[in-house]
Amino acid sequence: MPPKVCILRTDGTNCDSETFYAFNKAGGESELVHINQLRQGEVKLAAYHILVIPGGFSYGDDISAGKVLAVELISFLKEQLAEFLRAQKPILGICNGFQVLVRTGLLPAGKLGSINAALTANESGRFECRWIKIKIEKNNCIFTQGLDNKIIYLPVAHGEGNFYTDPATLNNIEANGQVTFRYVDKNDRPTQTYPDNPNGSLNAIAGLSDPSGYILGLMPHPERFTEIFHYPNWRRNNLREPQGLAIFRNAIQYAKNS
Amino acid sequence: MALHEIRVINHPWIPDPKGQDILYEIQHALGLKNITRVTTARVYRLEGINEKEAYFLAQNLLAEDIYQSYRLNEPVITNATAVVEVAYKPGVMNPGTASLMKAARDLGINNLIACDSSWEYGFFGPGVTTADINLILRRLLVNETVEQVVTSRSSVVGRRSSGEKQTTSRPTGWKPVLPEAYPTLGRQDACSTLGRQDAYPTRPLTLIIHGLAQKTKIIPLRAMNDQELMALSQDKLFLDLEEMQRIKDYFISLDRDPTDCEVETIAQTWSEHCIHKTFKAKLLVNGREKMPLLKRLQQATQKINHPLVRSAFVDNSGVFEFYQGWAICGKVETHNAPSAIEPYGGAMTGSGGVFRDIMGTGQGAKVIASTDIFCFAPPDYPAENIPDGCLHPHYLLRRVVAGVRDYGNRMGIPTNNGSVHFHPDFRAKPTVIVGAYGILPVERCLKGKPRSGDLAIAIGGRTGRDGIHGATFSSGEMTARTIEVNASAVQIGHPIEEKRVADAILAAGKQGLIRAITDCGAGGFSSALGEMGAETGVKIYLERAPLKYPGLAPWEIWVSESQERMVLAIDPEKADRVLAICQALNVEAIIMGEFNDDHRLLVSYYDEVVCSLDMDFLHHGWPQKARRAAWQAPVFAEPDLPPPANWEEIYLQVMAHGNVCSKEPIIRMYDHGVQGTCALPPFNGANGDAPNDAVILTPLLGQPCAVIISHGLNPVLNRINPYYGSLWVMAEAVANAVAVGANPQELMLIDNFIWPVPEENFLGALDLSVDACVDFTQATGMPFISGKDSLSSTYRGKDSLVIHIPPVLCISAFGRLPDAAKTVSADFKKEHSQIVLVGCRNPMEMAGSVYYDLAGYIGNNLPKIDLTILLKVYQAIHQAIAEGEVLACHDISEGGPAAALAEMCFGGSLGAVINIPAEEKAENFLFNETAGCFLVELDQKINPSGLFAGVPHKAIGYTVSQKEIAAYRQEKLLFALPLAQLKEAWQRPMKEVFGGSITA
Repeated sequence: MPPKVCILRTDGTNCDSETFYAFNKAGGESELVHINQLRQGEVKLAAYHILVIPGGFSYGDDISAGKVLAVELISFLKEQLAEFLRAQKPILGICNGFQVLVRTGLLPAGKLGSINAALTANESGRFECRWIKIKIEKNNCIFTQGLDNKIIYLPVAHGEGNFYTDPATLNNIEANGQVTFRYVDKNDRPTQTYPDNPNGSLNAIAGLSDPSGYILGLMPHPERFTEIFHYPNWRRNNLREPQGLAIFRNAIQYAKNS
Repeated sequence: MALHEIRVINHPWIPDPKGQDILYEIQHALGLKNITRVTTARVYRLEGINEKEAYFLAQNLLAEDIYQSYRLNEPVITNATAVVEVAYKPGVMNPGTASLMKAARDLGINNLIACDSSWEYGFFGPGVTTADINLILRRLLVNETVEQVVTSRSSVVGRRSSGEKQTTSRPTGWKPVLPEAYPTLGRQDACSTLGRQDAYPTRPLTLIIHGLAQKTKIIPLRAMNDQELMALSQDKLFLDLEEMQRIKDYFISLDRDPTDCEVETIAQTWSEHCIHKTFKAKLLVNGREKMPLLKRLQQATQKINHPLVRSAFVDNSGVFEFYQGWAICGKVETHNAPSAIEPYGGAMTGSGGVFRDIMGTGQGAKVIASTDIFCFAPPDYPAENIPDGCLHPHYLLRRVVAGVRDYGNRMGIPTNNGSVHFHPDFRAKPTVIVGAYGILPVERCLKGKPRSGDLAIAIGGRTGRDGIHGATFSSGEMTARTIEVNASAVQIGHPIEEKRVADAILAAGKQGLIRAITDCGAGGFSSALGEMGAETGVKIYLERAPLKYPGLAPWEIWVSESQERMVLAIDPEKADRVLAICQALNVEAIIMGEFNDDHRLLVSYYDEVVCSLDMDFLHHGWPQKARRAAWQAPVFAEPDLPPPANWEEIYLQVMAHGNVCSKEPIIRMYDHGVQGTCALPPFNGANGDAPNDAVILTPLLGQPCAVIISHGLNPVLNRINPYYGSLWVMAEAVANAVAVGANPQELMLIDNFIWPVPEENFLGALDLSVDACVDFTQATGMPFISGKDSLSSTYRGKDSLVIHIPPVLCISAFGRLPDAAKTVSADFKKEHSQIVLVGCRNPMEMAGSVYYDLAGYIGNNLPKIDLTILLKVYQAIHQAIAEGEVLACHDISEGGPAAALAEMCFGGSLGAVINIPAEEKAENFLFNETAGCFLVELDQKINPSGLFAGVPHKAIGYTVSQKEIAAYRQEKLLFALPLAQLKEAWQRPMKEVFGGSITA
């Protein structure tokens, strides 16, 4: 039985089809689930092995990116989410999904309702759509196992991806090894320089996990690199494998094993 | 009712990119150096809740302690030299408020009855004057059509407007919003600058819009003489006398006078916008009768009888067959007039409208791509030369881009093909073209016809007074009814609403529930339902329409152009399922009425019949026009230029020309990767900054079959000669597609004619342009399957100033390929490759080129493209790419081979050495812009004469590792220019316009 993946949708979700495809290609069984179905009890989160909040502009990113969906999750799905985590099932937030996870408190601390970081407006003041290089850090995140120190290309497409937190929390995040992805420059070193770091994130953070390693959020879009064609320079460089796939495969593998 | 204001600001140690971006604009676009910092804050107004609830929402929804702080009912920007709040005018829909209401409900706050959000700006710096602030407001921050400056001034000085309840005690920290140092920045100065007596309103007392509906009126049309008919038309209807008489005769035959709703319905249906009178008119060209323009285009397509075409000119977009049971559709629209007045909202609603055309194709399609093509005056055009009532191109460009960005990105539609052109003649009105493409199953790619008993269901946004312009009703009634609603408001689009609607349509289509579908565009319900029921008849109950606010007269509901609405014809057996799908996706859906077999358009509002018209009269009753056309060829000075004294300088100038320079800062703001389909993005190459000619999409995830989309446009050539100018545009559009690998036998075309008001001369030009279109399709076998004309590019100002915006033909090309792997990009791939120029050109034909423009000339001798050779060239290029022999290919257009070569070098991070043939003038060789020619990179082992046998081609040089372009003529070095210098010149112009606080 392939693990069942809940692709959570709501008004303004728009990366759901490609996320659906990515998990299926990685060996999962994706299902698009509207938040109304969860709120009305038609569908239970417990029926799934993996939860994904895909990219998009949930509720128009009105107020701030991901805020309205985060409020909705805290207000109506607190119990189900807690149960999901107790069962050690992985949660992934991509781009807008990452913003939602941070605004629920699930990232970085893994505590629903206590917000201690933010993804603020890009330093450039603009929505940025470009391919960037990221380095995968060694940590306990189930999505990145076996990918330590790899450098991969992924696209970013966001206006609010600038990771910010207070110095104490940042220290904690680093000390716990929660950072999973960092923007790097041409020499593969973490960078604060635009556009290699497209938004000005502290410590070049492109993605991070909670202390348990079951929750991952990232601004870049791994679901947009599941075919060789996706890479803008596939005609120049000989890439053998679409570099976004491994993250999905890891989650599926984990779900199969547990 | 309590109205609370919450102001949210970033902590001082957190960057304020919005403020920094405005500061950049102030310093660079306006040249004001005395402002040193701009701070921004968000303002929320919440009505109906108490102070405790306001604090609760501030803490749990509106502000996050980690990076923000907030104040309730007191200022948050406290020490600025000046503080100004800019808000949408009442009645202009603020897309964010619905989310705010929803989130408050989700948090258990149920008595929030209205809310609004706006921005507050604090300006810092020594010596800032009132005039500076007013200039900033006028040029950068306030668009009077939809926005206004709001002050809390009355509160500041302790005065309270009558009727305002003091809801909270003012904390002691409450300081003047406009500090004492700026006593002159009061109402009057600002008013006079903003040109309104009542500008700078105080903060609102309520956010709720009230209004009483006006009654339906009977128009005494039968008793009107010709003068009275025309007076009625000029004020409201924009029909000519013959049309007005036709309507009068109809009602005489019915023995009654029409209602306002009926007259409006006929005027909408018979408008140029809906019925394309000019394109359907009998033409007398230079005294000789010719077939109507539209018929010529349609017949040309029929004659080709292309096997892939599934529908042409009949549906909301043109449809051709893709692979594996799927079809692709495409539509391109203009949105010039709204974008000229309110570029952000205009561009947004332009995108929204063309997306709905795709969503309403067949039995519902998924939008897979968006294109954007703009023409503006140069962004550095002197402000004093902008005609009265027109906005500055710098502002227009930035705001149009923002509108396209926000609509497409939020809806999740990749915007990945487009262009921006600059010419001073667009100073009176920009050209804003938005295209959209979709995918749908072949088996549902044709609409059904509504059957008697089918239900008419409206889904999506609510109806407001949007798009009903002041000219369509008397101002007396307006003030008497609702002062607060700005009737002429241009709308701000709501992409999330449209995304919900799109999702609902796809779900309903998938279950086979949709008989027919169309979008509410121009004319609103009147056009959508009138057209849908044209062959059956339809009965509509207007009172069922969900409204944004009360106070709309029945005719206003009927013709309102509120966005994000669609109309479906649904079998009554299936209606419940459609309504359930909509409900599950938060889409409002209402059964507005039903189709019948009465062949009448019957509309009631409660017990009153407000419209009862014969469908036959409505759709076929209009008098066909006869128009005269005669084009007079203008004569431009033909220059005899000496060779450039400084080759390096002219090359750099060409690269920096507005029509050649890099548009990357714009394109990076559009999401081109969403949906996971992009197989050739707008930019790629060694540094990701080299442009490609077309976009390639693989819309079936996991499958290699591809859609290719490109376009062509030239703002100059049609003025010289509309026939050859139009041929150039078509050759260019197709060349862009072929350059990446498209098969010329499987390409479809879309025409957009954006023309000055077609008086005799311009109609003559239009006639020639259409002839060119027909000749091109017949020579190449590529059919037109969709098209649109917009014939209003004339500006009439004071003192009988008339500006004719250049007649523009935009051609979009789209087609299919079985395998995306058999395509190429434009970046050079390696050193020691051959560079081959393929295509037929006469380098002497330099008229309309960037090279001439830089010398101050237009010229007459424009490129005259040979269609027979052109098709062979396309086929040869396609064949060579399909066989995998081509490493890179780039189409030659503005800036000539020199510009194309530089872009290929940027992409490869490689240099080039070229040899200019001795028999040609070097400047013509380098800068000739004949479309349908290509630069091709071939491995050194390949023999170009074998690959391109039978078509004109010439090996002109080779790639080198040294990063410079060196040109030789008769073994003499003409020039050698470093790539870095060329790239800097090419990137600078748009970086200057769009560069914020940070640039790459």
